[in-house]
Formats: sequence, C-alpha cells, structure tokens
Amino acid sequence: MPMASQAVVDKYRVTAVLVSHNGALWLPEVVAALNSQTRPLDLITAVDTGSEDASTKLLKSARIPFFSADRETGFGQAVSLAVGKLPKSVEHEWLWLIHDDCAPAPTALAELLSSIDNRPQVVMVGPKLLGWHDRTHLLEAGISIAGNGARWTGLEPFEYDQGQHDGVKDVLSVSTAGALIRRDVFEELGGFDHNLALFRDDVDFGWRARTAGHSVIAATSAVAFHAQASATERRQVDVEGAFLHRPLLLDRRNAAYVLLANSSWWMLPWIALQLFGSAIARALGYLLAKLPGYASDEILAFTSLVISPRMILEARKVRKKQKFVSARVVATYIPPRWSQLRLGVERLVELLRARVFPEKTSPTQSILDSVEDEDLLTPVNTNTWLSIFKRPEVLGFLTLAIITVVNSRNRFGALVGGALPNSPSGATDLWRFYLESWHEIGMGSASATPSWVAVVAIASLAVLGNVKFLITLFFLIAPLLMMWSSFNVLKRLTSNKWISIPASFLYALSPVTIAAVGSGQIATMVVLILAPFVALLLHDWWSIEIYSWRKIFAVSLVLSLIYAFSLMSFLIALVAAITITAGNYREFAVTLDKALFDERIFKRAALVFIPFLMNAPFSLEALVNPSRFFAEPGLLIPGGGSFSALLGNPGGADSVPLWLVSPVLLILVISLFSSTHARSIAEYGFGALCLAVFLGSLSISTHGNEGVAKVWTGPVLSIATLAAVAAGTVMLDRLRETLVLSHVHYRHFLSAILLFVTASYALLAVGFSVSAGADSAVQANRATVMPAFLSVESQTKILVLREIGSSNDKKIQYYISRGKDISLGEPDIAPDENIQIATAARALIDGTGITSSKTLSDYGIKYVFAKNPFKKEIIRSIDGLGGFTRTSATSLGVVWRVSQPTGRLIFVDTEGQRSVLETGEFGTSTYAPSAGTLILTESSNRSWQALQSGYRLERSINELGLPTFTVTEAGEISLIHDGTTRRGWLSLQTIFLAIVIVMALPAGRRKREISEKELA
Amino acid sequence: MKLTRPLRFIALLLVVIGVSSILTVTVTTKSYSESYPVVVCPPTLEGLGSQISFSSKKTPFQRLQTRTTETEQVKLLRLPVKKDSLVVTSEGVTPVVWQSRSDSWAGAALCSSSAASQWFVGGTADVTTRGKLIIVNSGLSDAVVDVESYTENGKQPLRTINITSKNYLVIPIDSLAPGDKTVTVHVTPRSGRINAFMIDEQGKGLKALGGDLVNPAAQPNKNLVIPAIPNQMSRNTPAAPHTLRVLAPGELDASITVEVLSADGIFVPVGLDSRLLKAGIVSEIKLDPKISSPVMAVRISASEPVVAAVKSTVVVGRSRDFVWSTSAPQLIPLTMAIAGLDPVISFVGQTINVSIDVTLTNGKSERQTVTGTDFATWAVPTNARSFTVIKPGEATFAGALVSSINGYGFFPIAAGSLLTKIEVPDSNIRVLNP
Repeated sequence: MPMASQAVVDKYRVTAVLVSHNGALWLPEVVAALNSQTRPLDLITAVDTGSEDASTKLLKSARIPFFSADRETGFGQAVSLAVGKLPKSVEHEWLWLIHDDCAPAPTALAELLSSIDNRPQVVMVGPKLLGWHDRTHLLEAGISIAGNGARWTGLEPFEYDQGQHDGVKDVLSVSTAGALIRRDVFEELGGFDHNLALFRDDVDFGWRARTAGHSVIAATSAVAFHAQASATERRQVDVEGAFLHRPLLLDRRNAAYVLLANSSWWMLPWIALQLFGSAIARALGYLLAKLPGYASDEILAFTSLVISPRMILEARKVRKKQKFVSARVVATYIPPRWSQLRLGVERLVELLRARVFPEKTSPTQSILDSVEDEDLLTPVNTNTWLSIFKRPEVLGFLTLAIITVVNSRNRFGALVGGALPNSPSGATDLWRFYLESWHEIGMGSASATPSWVAVVAIASLAVLGNVKFLITLFFLIAPLLMMWSSFNVLKRLTSNKWISIPASFLYALSPVTIAAVGSGQIATMVVLILAPFVALLLHDWWSIEIYSWRKIFAVSLVLSLIYAFSLMSFLIALVAAITITAGNYREFAVTLDKALFDERIFKRAALVFIPFLMNAPFSLEALVNPSRFFAEPGLLIPGGGSFSALLGNPGGADSVPLWLVSPVLLILVISLFSSTHARSIAEYGFGALCLAVFLGSLSISTHGNEGVAKVWTGPVLSIATLAAVAAGTVMLDRLRETLVLSHVHYRHFLSAILLFVTASYALLAVGFSVSAGADSAVQANRATVMPAFLSVESQTKILVLREIGSSNDKKIQYYISRGKDISLGEPDIAPDENIQIATAARALIDGTGITSSKTLSDYGIKYVFAKNPFKKEIIRSIDGLGGFTRTSATSLGVVWRVSQPTGRLIFVDTEGQRSVLETGEFGTSTYAPSAGTLILTESSNRSWQALQSGYRLERSINELGLPTFTVTEAGEISLIHDGTTRRGWLSLQTIFLAIVIVMALPAGRRKREISEKELA
Repeated sequence: MKLTRPLRFIALLLVVIGVSSILTVTVTTKSYSESYPVVVCPPTLEGLGSQISFSSKKTPFQRLQTRTTETEQVKLLRLPVKKDSLVVTSEGVTPVVWQSRSDSWAGAALCSSSAASQWFVGGTADVTTRGKLIIVNSGLSDAVVDVESYTENGKQPLRTINITSKNYLVIPIDSLAPGDKTVTVHVTPRSGRINAFMIDEQGKGLKALGGDLVNPAAQPNKNLVIPAIPNQMSRNTPAAPHTLRVLAPGELDASITVEVLSADGIFVPVGLDSRLLKAGIVSEIKLDPKISSPVMAVRISASEPVVAAVKSTVVVGRSRDFVWSTSAPQLIPLTMAIAGLDPVISFVGQTINVSIDVTLTNGKSERQTVTGTDFATWAVPTNARSFTVIKPGEATFAGALVSSINGYGFFPIAAGSLLTKIEVPDSNIRVLNP
C-alpha cells in the first residue's frame, strides 16, 4: 500500500515491513510513529505471525495491509515472506524493518536516508535505539558479537544517552528493529538465515553483508524506541526451534550458530572452546543466582548445536558462496577480549560499590534554607591528631590492644598447651588430615575429622598456609575481634560511644574470654567473635517469620561455622528453639494461625538442623558419642562446675579466680527488673546462664581422655556474657537522665552497686590479664613431649607414660604415640581406650605386669617411654618386670624397648612362626613369605583391605580385636584403607554446602519478573 | 512494673541450681592400687649360716634365681637358708634374717623391698677385712648400679656395675677402696630392682675378729638416731669402747653434736659438741661413755645431712665380736617377724609411748605398752613369733639387739616394705601435648 502522501524529494524508495506477534501493547504507538514520519514511507506491508491478541485488529484499523503467517514463523522468515509479496525491486529500493515493539522517532527515516547519501557501499543502516519507557536509556547504536557469544553493544548497563555515541559509525551490524536494508542486497544474500528464527539474525546478516563486500552503519541521528519485548520476556517466544519457549536458550543457541557459521575455519576450535567455557561459567553464575532454568539454557544451547554439526556445515557452505572478502574483515568489529574483561570487572566493581556504599539520598536543601549568617558564627573546626585519641573507639581499641600484647608476651611463636595441641606446619597437612579416612592416633581411628579443621585450613590461606602463624595471630587479635564484633551490636543499642565502647571492652575482657584464650579453647573464642553477628542477623528469634528464607540460609551458614567448632552450640540452639516454640504454641492456641505457627517451626528447624547437617558426618557421629556435644576442639580441659558458671566464669585452670566476681549475673538480674528493652535481652542471657549452670554440673569423658572432666561451659557463657553486656548498655543508655530527673530511690543504689562491681571487675581483670593471665597454659615454643630419636623410626607405636598436673596434684597417665606429639584436630577423633592395653599399662605401673610386654608387642607397641619427671619407683618397677630392655635414660625420660619383635604388620606362618613385615604408610605394599595369617596392629575397621594378585584376602578380627588377613600363598600384598565412605561423605558435605551458599545468596530474577521501570 | 516474669526467671535459676547440685557427682580423678612390694633377703655366702624369721608358715617365697612365677610356702617360722637369696611375699611383715659364722660372729638384717638409695656405714678395706657387699637384682631385666665409696681419704671413684636379671653379685669391700680403713658405701641403682647388703667381717690371720651385717640407711639426714648400741660390761671392768663412724657426703663441712642416751640419762660426751666434720671424709670418733646401762643410744644433730653408725665391740663366750648399730627411721606402725630371735628393743624419743601387739608362737597375742622418757628398753617375750607396732608414739625411734652363742646382732625397727599406693593410670591423649 503506497503511503507517500507528501512529495518525496529523495531518490529512494522505502518499503516498511512490519512484523507483529502479540504486540497489541506497543502496536498503536508504532503505527502512529510510522504515520508521523517526516519522510513518508513509499510502501508499507505487515506480517502477523499468529497473534492471539488484538494485533490484527489494530493493523486492520490502521489500514495497513497485512497477511498472516504461522505462529511459529520466525522474524527473518516473516520478512522474507513479506518481501516475496512485494512488487519487483526497483533501483534504490530499501526495506525498513519495523518490529511491533519499536517506534521510530518522526525523523528517523529521514535521518537514515540522509546517512546513506554519498555512501553507496552501505547496504544496512540502523537508528540509535532508546528504551521504550525511559527514553534516555541508550539501548544500542550498532551491535556486534563477542567471542563468547555475548551480544555486544559497547555500552554500559543503563547508559544514559547524552549524545556521547552520536555520529555515523561503521558497525558490524545493527538491530533489525528500525534497520534500513537495501532490498537488492537483502535478496541477493537470501534475507535472514531461516535457522535464526529470532535473535542474532541481525548480527548474522550484518556479518554476511560485510563479507560480501558491503558496509553497515549506525546513524544515531535517527532514533527509535524499542521495548525489546521478546528479549525481556514480555511476550512468549513461539518461533520454531524455541524449545520450551525459552528466549535465552534461543539467543544462546543462535549466538553460537552465528559464530560457528561465520568464523574462519581455523578459529573454530578456539571459538567452540570459548563458547563452552563461557556457557559453563554463566551456568554456574545462574545457579548461584538460583536460576537453574537459565543455567540449563546455557548448557542446552551449546550442546544442541554440537550434536547437530550438519546445520553448521550447511550454513558455512552458503556463506562460502556469498563471501566476497575474507571473514577477517569483521575482526575490527569483534570486541577484543580485554574490553570484555574490562566491562565485566567494571560491572563487578560497580555492583560491589553499590552494595558497600549505597547511595544516600540526602534531602535536597533549598537555597532559601541557607543561613549564611549562622555559618559565619560556627567556629572553624580544626582537626588535630591529638583529637583522634580522645575518641572513645580509638581509646578503647588501643587500650585493649596494649593489654592484649602484654598478656600475649609468652605467646609470640608457635602456640601449644592447655586444650590447644601443636599446629602442623602447613595447610596441606590439615587438608590431608581432613580428607583421610584413617588417622594414625593411638591404635588408629576412622572417625570423621571435624569440619573446623577444614575451616582452619581455608583460613590459613590468608597467611600463605602457615597454620602456626595463623593460630598465633588468632590468639593475638581474638580479643580485638571480640570487641569489634560486640561493638557492632552495641552501637545499635546506644548512640553513646562512651557506653558502647567500654561495654564491648568488658566483653573482650570477660571471664569467659580470659579463660578461653588462656586455656586454648578456640571454639569458645570463635563463638565469642561470631555470637554478636548472629545476634545482629537474628535479633528477633521470636518472630522468625519476618526473616526471608534467604536470610535463614545465610544465618545457617554462620551457625554452621560456629557448630563446626562447637557442637554445644547445636544444643544451645536446640534448647532455644524448643523454648521459643513452646511460647509460640501458646500464642497459636489463642490466634489459631496455623500457617504462621508452621512457618515459625520450619524456619527455626532449618536454623537448628541445617548447620548440623552441614557438619556431617562429624556431627552425626556425635549422636552415637554424645560427649562430643559438650566438648570443645582439642584436649578435654575440665571446667569449673556449676558455681563458677553461675558467676559467668567457665572456671578451670586458666580462668580468672572466683573472687574476681564478674558482673554478669548481677547485670542480668538487675536487667530482669528493668522497664526497658534490656529486660528481654536479659531473659535470653538468663536462659543461657541457667543452661550453663546445668551443663556445668555434668562430667564427660571424650577426646582421648578416659578420665572424667567437668563440662567446659564457655560457649553458653559467651551468650550470657553478650546478653549481659547488651542489657547493661541498654540500661545505662538513658540512665543518667532518668536518675537526674528522679528522687533518690532504689535505682540510684542499684546503679551505684552495678557500676562499682563492673568497674572493680574491669580493673582487676586487666590486672589479672597482664600478670598471671600471661602465664597461662597456652605458651609459645614449648619443647615437644616426644624425643626426636623416637620419631626416626616411622610407623612406630610408643606407649608414653607421663605425670600430668600441678606439682601437688599429679596423676599418671598414658597414651600411645606414633612417634610425635599430637596435632590440631587429632584429640577430637582419638579412639576409645583399648581394654587390653589399658590393663597392660596399669600392670606396668603397679609392678604386676609380667605379661605387659607380650600384650604391648601383640598390639605393635615397640617402645615404652616414661617422660621425665616421673616416679623413680615406677621406673625401677618397670626395670624389674622383664620383657623390657632399657635403651636410653636421658633428661627427657627413660625409654624401654619391648623385647619381643613387633611392628605394624605381623606375619604368622602356618607353623606359628611369627615375623614382622616391612611397612610404610597406611596404603602400603609388603611381601608375605608364605601362606599364613597377616595381623595388622591397628584398630579393626571394615575398610581395611589386603589385596593379593588382585583378589581381596579374607578378613577377620582376632581375639585382640585386630584385623587379620588369611594369606593363601607367598607374594606381594597391598594393604589399603578404603576411603570410599569418607569420600562419599565429603562429596555430600560439599554439595550441601554449595546448596546452602546458593540459597543464601541474593536470588537473580528472570527477565519477565523485572518491572518495566527497572528494565528502562 | 510487673514482677511476675522476672521472679519466674529467678525461680528457674534457683531450680536449675538445685538440680545441678543433685546431678553434680564428686569427680574422683584418681584411683589407686595398694600393695606391699615383695621383700628380698640376702643370700647366704659360703661358710655362713642363715635363718629367716617369718610370722606365718604360709608365707610364699621364691628363690632368686627361679625364673618361673611360682612360689612355695616357707612352712617354718624360722627358715634356714643354705645359699640363695629369697624373694618373699611377706605382705607387710618384715622378715628378719640372722646370719652367723660359727663361733665367730652373728648379725641381723631386714629383708626389704628394692630401694632407690642405700648407705652402708660400716666395713673396712684394710688387710683385716673379709667384708663383702652383696647386690641383688630381683628384677626380670638386667640392672645397672652405681657404687660410690667414701673413706678417710675422701670419695672414691664411682663404680658402675651390671647385674643380670634374677641374680646377685658379691663385691669384696677391699676392692672398693683398697687399703683404706673406714668405708662408707652408697649404692644407687640406675635401673633395675636392686637390694644391697653388707657383711663386715674381720680377721687377723687365722684369728677371727668378728663380723656383722651392716644395715643400710636410706638417706643422709641432719638428725639421726642410732637407737640400740650394746654396752657390754664385764664384772669390774669398764665397758668395751665404741666407735662412731660418720660421714657428711654433701659438698659442705658439717658440724655435729652427739648425745648419748641411756637409762643413766642423757649427756654429750666431751668433744662431741659442735664437732666439725670435713665433707666427703669418713671420720671415726671414739665413744667411751661412763654409763652402767647395757644398752644405749646415740642422737646426732648436724648442720648438714650425715650418715652414721656405731661399732661396738662385744665378747661372746671366748670370742670377740663387733656390732654395727645403724641409724633407724622414725617408728611407724609395722610388723616384724622375729621368731627365734628374742631381741631387746630400745626406744628413743622425748616421750615414749608405744603400743605393741606381740604374737606368740602358739598363735596367741598380747598387747604391751612401752612408756618412758628419752630412752626405754623392752625385751620381747621369748616365744614371740612377731610383733606389731600399733601406736608408734610421737617421734620415736627403735632398734633391736639380739645375742646368740655366735655373737651379737643389731637391726633397726623399720618396715622392710611399705604399703605402696600406686595410682592407677588413665588413658589420656594429653600426655602427648607439651
């Protein structure tokens, strides 16, 4: 239908081709825009591809001739159909392709035609595309394609159009929305590739036009407004090949198609690799953003092309025929990798900046509000360096730093002592320990290594894998971290830093902190640091429904870190959850709001149990070994019992003395009677204190210690201490005003008592910390227990006897060493006592052990080492027992060799002749001299396997509980500990961790979920 | 302000405290195994006769060189021993061994458990000596023993001796310090279960000059009591002279004061008040107290730890003998087997009040109490098989003198083996952490 109603002054004939598909939303404006062109159209035709909305009616009412095509007809195919129905091509005839969601500005066509004047080589020209809603949002001014298939516009996200990209520019291609294409060239090149039903057909056409020797330009003086309805999922994509109507899948597939069909042969492997790599990377990104559909689109798009290479080959044949110049002519239009990288980094930095420094919208001040006279009266603010030291936070942290350094004067170096074992030299040792299925501790252990070992290994990366340095650094800065983390909570409770800073200072010098640092209780230290963050994240435990599931997962991550160190935290969370749920139930009984009640239960259960499962299998093993719930990592150090717990002091060897009464209990009791928010905080603290008192009354035996020890209540008291500090802060916040305004009454006295007790504690705690506190059990650079000469023989088991305890309360204890002192994590998985060895050791001590030597040799124990100082009578007694040969007596102690030959692998032939076989690490090869029985002197475990000639030897357990294998003939034997189960658990743990991390991350949105406003 | 809720919390805390105090069990961190170590009796050297007194015929014993763990019962209350050293499971009763050479000398010693240190003040290394140091290794492993000798010429070179398991070694005293006259020997095992015994026997040509078993002291001490010294008097003749041998083995010279205690009273002999002793030099001091009491005692106070013994000459029949009275430890509740010995026990203490149960050979027992001030003696009933000190009194020391046709003997009233409270060890990985 001829549209030209005004005189046309140029030489061109322009036929507009409008393709519509469910575009009724935008079509009226598009039609209006076409009709208002300053340079009228010569002809217009429309194709409707099975619209189900009012599109056809609108076309009819606009009197635009159109014909209908199948619903699955692609854009390029529709254009071809339309062109096929046009009158024969004439000279200077151009096709103006119009999308049903693209409205050109009135001068668009005129400007486009103007740009091709004197540019005979140009066969395709496109306008500057701006946003449909925000018409300053620059969408495109020419397009290209990156090596990884990304659509490349060279613009920043949401770039504001200020004319910065204006001008006529040579480009690889322009969007088909508003593109003007010379009809003869369009027909010559066969139109758009029908394999590209939607998306990337423009780039492909531009690329083909370029290689056919033509030119493509973007004329930014021409402007069109594009809604990008298909790309932004404003409408369903119904074209053929759009599997499951997924636009992203179609876009990625087509991008790959364009690259593979048009690139040079020699570039193909590299491009395929890039496409695959970027598809994987983007898929991972989408997975993290919880958009698995998009992730699958990425993978499917690539694989769908790879599995049908024939289509690519045919496409390349067609292009080969059309090609006039080398495909490399487009190289200048393909964005270099560094610019892609730069853009990616810029986006990431911008994202982080927006998160870290959100833009503050300050109220705009009117010029009328200006009070210049007052400004003149304001004294000049002079900042001097000295004024920094008058700030409470600087004073508080500096003071604590000085106290910490003085307190740590014996802790500069590799730390050991108290509950803290030796640290391995490198992170790799920790990783190996974490991943191993069999641990050479005592008689051997197959227990799962606790997750905190992996956490420490990861943390050590920050100090280049130096675990010793990490531990030293942690002990040095832990009080400062505690103060900082508690300050983060307290500053939200009061704006007065002269209250929040001293309160956080007290938290960092609380009895539980001093005891934890002094006795090497790293779990309590971690809880002290992280508990304030949990309180921040989850301040309303009662109304948990206000937290999103994403936040629940985020808190679960923090809690799982705490659980990793202290399973007692699980108990605390469980008790808290049960208590609060009981309260919620009472509320439910009144409101009968089941949905709310259920939501609260689910969210609370998630918080309690997800971290527990994340620490499986160590946490699950605790269910059959419940003592682990009450133990901290490392050696079992007894706590002080219920009474000291009541005073907020975990007690034990390196705690502050009980006479140094901390104000924790007093503050909590007073806060209970407060009329402020302090009361509810104190209730949590009081609950924790009750739990601590109860736990303090229990005694446990675990972590390689067969004796009983009072439970260390540090983690629970950390919560009570935090609550006390927070409640005290809230009370003090407005106390001064209240006291000044009221008559003298009980509040004045209570406040005076509270302040006096708190100040006294603070002073005495500082005094203790810098004096006796520095001589605590954890010290640097201590001599090892095991003499170096006993470490020379590998795979040697040594029964170590030692008197442990203070000078007036010593106790003889023993354990089996593998030639070296214990390391981080090893006590946590130490095996239970072996009854026979225990009997032999006891008989050795009391002088009745005539058979001790035989028992020890049966278990592969080669030496007995009595560490000095040791009772001389017992040494003489062992001398006299027989079966032991004294091999050395040095200042370190006395060593006896067990007379009977023994080792890790004992072979007993069919005649009962016993011999010791050579052995190495736990996966080892050895040679059996004949048929017989192979005894492995390690604890029995079903994963021990011996292989001979590819067959498993029959395994049984002998009367001593040791694994034995029946050897049927002489030959090489491989001994392995099958770690499949451990690997399975680790895989599950990794998967579970990944899921929780993904769930905790901010969720991405599908494009259809993004509002028009945001898109604009 | 509503007080109900805060009060509920406080009530909850009180309930928890109550429950906790019920739940709290006293954690016993130590457990013990109590036993009496076996005692070892000296071997009978060639030419000697030896009898060991037991309190029960069912006392199990083992000959030293027996390798099995099997024991046999003594079956006699006074067991003659021909050769071997015996290892006796006496369960708290201290057997006394009586050794003698016919018509020459006799002496007594205690069968005792292995010791970490033994000081023998007695013996000589000159031409008259026939003395022996016997070192017994009753353990099942070889032992290494240091033997350190002191004489009037000072400290002698250390000798380190290996003794195979279940065996004993006899070392002539003159080999320890050839030619020296006054010997004191210190035996310290480096390893092994060791007991040492000393026989001091002297003769001049064919003429026997007597002999005795020298009882050991455990450690040098600043205050020593030698509780029983025979003060034999013939009619109208003064008592035979005594010799006090004393050594300050430390690095510093010692100043000693010697008191003589007897039924006649207490006095410090002339020249024995604040007498200086050179460190490391064995000194001999003549003691010639003018007392009529047949038994006396000596109390030594020193500025530095010392070891001491008194050698007394006695005449038995026509032959001469000598007795080494050594220091005794403070009296504690104990039982000693004395069947066939008939000792006279002398007690030293500011206030002596000792209750003793005596078990007679017929199985009956009777209780006796010895009281006195400073010094008291008590003759054990002739048919006693053992006596038990029930109440030792305060700071009391005791020693026994036994006479026989062959000679005189002394033994301190001390426990041969003490109840050993061995702590039952626990398995704890903490031993592998510095």
